Amino acid sequence: MWTLRRFPALWLLPALLPVALMTIYPIAQAFWTSLHSVMLLFPGEPFVGLENYLRVLGSNYFQDALRNSLLFTLLAAPTVVVLGTLIALFLHGRFLGSQVVRSLVLLPWVLPGAISAVLWVWVFHPSFGVLNGLLQDLGLIEASIPWLTSPRTALPAVVVAHVWTQIPFAVVLLMAGLSTINPETLEAAAIDCRDPFKRFRYVVFPEIKSMIVVLLVYNALTAFTSYDLVYAMTGGGPGTATTLLSFQIWRESFSMYDFGAGSAVAFIVVAVSAVLIVAITRALPSDLFAES
Amino acid sequence: MQLRKLVAAMALASGTLLAQAVVAQETTLEFVVWNYSLETIQDNVREFEAANPGIKVNVTDYTWPDYQDSLVLRIRGNTQTDVVYGGQDWLPAWGAAGFIAPLEAVAPAEEIEALKSDIAGFALTDVTYDGKIYGLPYYADTISFIYNKKILEDAGIAVPTTWEEVTAAAEKLKAGGMDKPIIYEYNQELPNFYDAFVAQAYGRGAELFDAELNPQFADPENGAFKQLQWLADAYSKGLVQSDNHESTIITAMNTGAHAFTIVYTYVLAALNNTAEQPLAGQFALAPMPGEAHSTLGFAKSYVVTAQAAADPKRAEAAWKFVNFMAGRPYTVAKRWAVEKGLGFGQLPLFEDADVKAAWGKWADMATLADQAKSAKAGTYTEYSSVWSAYFRPLLAKAMVGEASVDQVMKDGAERWTMLKEQFASR
Amino acid sequence: MRGRLHPILTFAFAALILLFTAGPVALSLYGSLVPDRVLLDPDRSLWTEGPNFESYRYVFTGQLPDSYLQESANRAMISDAARQVPQSLANSLVVALSAMALNILLGAPAAFLYARYAFPGKKVTFLFLILSPLVPAVALVTPIYMMLQALGLVGTQLGIVLVHAAKALPFTVLILSVFFRKIPPEIFEAALLDHCSRFQTFWRVALPLALPSVGATGLFAFMISYSEFMFAMVLSGDAQTRPVSVVMAALARNTDVSWNLLNTAIFIAIVPTLVLVVLVWRFVVEGLLSGAVKG
Repeated sequence: MWTLRRFPALWLLPALLPVALMTIYPIAQAFWTSLHSVMLLFPGEPFVGLENYLRVLGSNYFQDALRNSLLFTLLAAPTVVVLGTLIALFLHGRFLGSQVVRSLVLLPWVLPGAISAVLWVWVFHPSFGVLNGLLQDLGLIEASIPWLTSPRTALPAVVVAHVWTQIPFAVVLLMAGLSTINPETLEAAAIDCRDPFKRFRYVVFPEIKSMIVVLLVYNALTAFTSYDLVYAMTGGGPGTATTLLSFQIWRESFSMYDFGAGSAVAFIVVAVSAVLIVAITRALPSDLFAES
Repeated sequence: MQLRKLVAAMALASGTLLAQAVVAQETTLEFVVWNYSLETIQDNVREFEAANPGIKVNVTDYTWPDYQDSLVLRIRGNTQTDVVYGGQDWLPAWGAAGFIAPLEAVAPAEEIEALKSDIAGFALTDVTYDGKIYGLPYYADTISFIYNKKILEDAGIAVPTTWEEVTAAAEKLKAGGMDKPIIYEYNQELPNFYDAFVAQAYGRGAELFDAELNPQFADPENGAFKQLQWLADAYSKGLVQSDNHESTIITAMNTGAHAFTIVYTYVLAALNNTAEQPLAGQFALAPMPGEAHSTLGFAKSYVVTAQAAADPKRAEAAWKFVNFMAGRPYTVAKRWAVEKGLGFGQLPLFEDADVKAAWGKWADMATLADQAKSAKAGTYTEYSSVWSAYFRPLLAKAMVGEASVDQVMKDGAERWTMLKEQFASR
Repeated sequence: MRGRLHPILTFAFAALILLFTAGPVALSLYGSLVPDRVLLDPDRSLWTEGPNFESYRYVFTGQLPDSYLQESANRAMISDAARQVPQSLANSLVVALSAMALNILLGAPAAFLYARYAFPGKKVTFLFLILSPLVPAVALVTPIYMMLQALGLVGTQLGIVLVHAAKALPFTVLILSVFFRKIPPEIFEAALLDHCSRFQTFWRVALPLALPSVGATGLFAFMISYSEFMFAMVLSGDAQTRPVSVVMAALARNTDVSWNLLNTAIFIAIVPTLVLVVLVWRFVVEGLLSGAVKG
């Protein structure tokens, strides 16, 4: 690692400026809004301090939404990373047809969220869904299982759909990460260590650890703040089974016309996300931020 | 020599262009719509432009689910917007916020009076705020109780006229092997989730609010209370399947797996679409069950913004445009009705032979006309859309048994009263 | 990397993976070839009438499917919104490719610096980049909309490209910096000995070695832009410039779009993007597997 005496503006500003433009002012504005009463129906925007935050925390949806969002994240993020790692490891070698599988594994990535929702509704729909049809044809069930309309199965069903959309990115990233491992190291390991699990744990995993952390953080963030797919599939129902916190930002702002409360929810989401990220990076130390 | 000629020619050309620009002074109206049948909208716009040289109309479209938010963004961002599609549930709120202008700000009073007499009852209520008319109807419709004729005939069940009969019919069908006879559009984020509920309450003859806008529905004797109880019971008996959106209801009903639903009437046209649907022709509408057989009617309209009304040239152009699209002789409205089966709020069209012929293909015109005549408008105030957004998740919880009907109705009534006071004191 | 896996197991895993990732899409293809009246009828299937391409024909040429030409059919009951799909696909590709190019151009140099150099302000700016995506975009819609309005970019593709590029940049920089770090330091020592300038080291040494990773990151930026819905919706006001994510969302909620037509639109939206992505991905994978980043 070389040291520079001055801040390398020419190298960094092209990346920093666009991001700054789209974040500094908007975030400041949103934060300001969260501290004021900004409602479409009432003129004037008086300062109200933390009133919006308190109102949100005490609202009738907050606890359900927070619980669901956390549950959704805790289910989805690790699943994506684990499945992605397994698939990446599998596809890393060559076998007959590996090129085809490697290409087709990208399919979920190519679909916008609204479309993934349509496809998975088709899979899970109680009346004309493919999964129920298949299970009934195979004789495994009698009546259709109401995947999306029963409180117990709705959240897992949308988790499955969400995981499906995030797998390709994980595979791409992990395959790239796996390729940076020196093949001689791998050959040596294959000779020294016959157990593939031990090989993975002591040789492969340390090499891709930082990539896994990146993926975990990214997926946790995405899962905690996503709602498009879920709402297109269930509308937040049945009851409160799939109501998500990040959706409340939109709902408070554009349905209840209360932009102050909407922004307050947003910053509560930020706080929770930050906690999640810190927890993940503490639990899995990697050289991501090391100075070495 | 050549160069001088060239320069002279250019000077002449640019001079002419400039002169034309000064003389033409075109007004460009910003027309914001949701994109139902965008091609037809654009075609209508072209006809208007042809008949009105000097006025150009620029159409900006958003998808229906995002229409309201996009318009809110445009309001907050002060994007130039002149004529918009208005919805009945947000009309009072926007009027109160000063975003839209009453028609009297852009049109002569006598013309408005004349047009007013042609507008159907519930449609007129929906376009009026604070005693003034804010728009002319684009599309008006009712919510219908729809059933599958063949399924009922095969099972020997008469068309239900009360909600108890609906339960009995559903239970009989379920005993005969139909797992979920009723399919219901259950989506707490859509305003029509609340509308459908109100329509059912109207079927019982109930009013949710009294003349002073006090909530009545927390009273267990009130029809709305009873209807929510009915829904909760139907769900707990396993008679109802929730569906997220009307588009999948169309597909589901066409598998023959369900017998009853409650949706906007235009869905009936899609259900009976012989070109696509396998069971087309089997679906019909019945008067909303309940003692009164009334239902909810609503109207979407063409509305002029305050921004446009403030500028005399725009105001004039905007009124010409709105009058062309929804005023006499109602050519455009008739086109929507005949070509697309779109409901209308203009009374003369009910008598029109072409409309009757076109609609006969997918609905019983007589039943439909009766339904439109007895339909009532909903209660919309400056704060009702905000309240509805609050109330819908509560309704959703009560239906699936996550909360008691009593608690939900009390909660809803309290919130309404709170908003009412808050708004009165602003 | 691992011993040969039993061929049957290999096949089984491959089949499972394919079933999960490609299954729903195959479903869509099936749905696009079978009209609703056959699809929803439990007694009939694809083989009853054979594959039906009329909805594809409708999307591309506007010619109504034959079933609409019957006496009793209402020709207006099919939505013209489905015909916007090809145009919107082109729009999406343009926007996403631009966002991807911007990301690589702006992000790679920065990633290289973060990976290989220490300098004043490194930690602060890196943290800023990493933390910037924390705030949910939906809370920032209004300020960003008003900002772009002031710049006159609402309704333009440039506005959308800028927002998308800014959205992907933090991740681009983060991911690429991880890859640049993986390059063994000996290579850079050699470059130093050859008196390479910083830029030359980056351009001639680091970039070629990390090219497959750059490809992967570029794909990621492309995808973020391609599937992004919210800003694409509020910043594009014209059916002509609208990206495919917005058009598809509308089609999914349109009662005049039959299940068959919807799946046709879905499949049309998938194919070109898939081809593009697979081409880039194959290049990336070849680079990865042939050991471009070996010591």
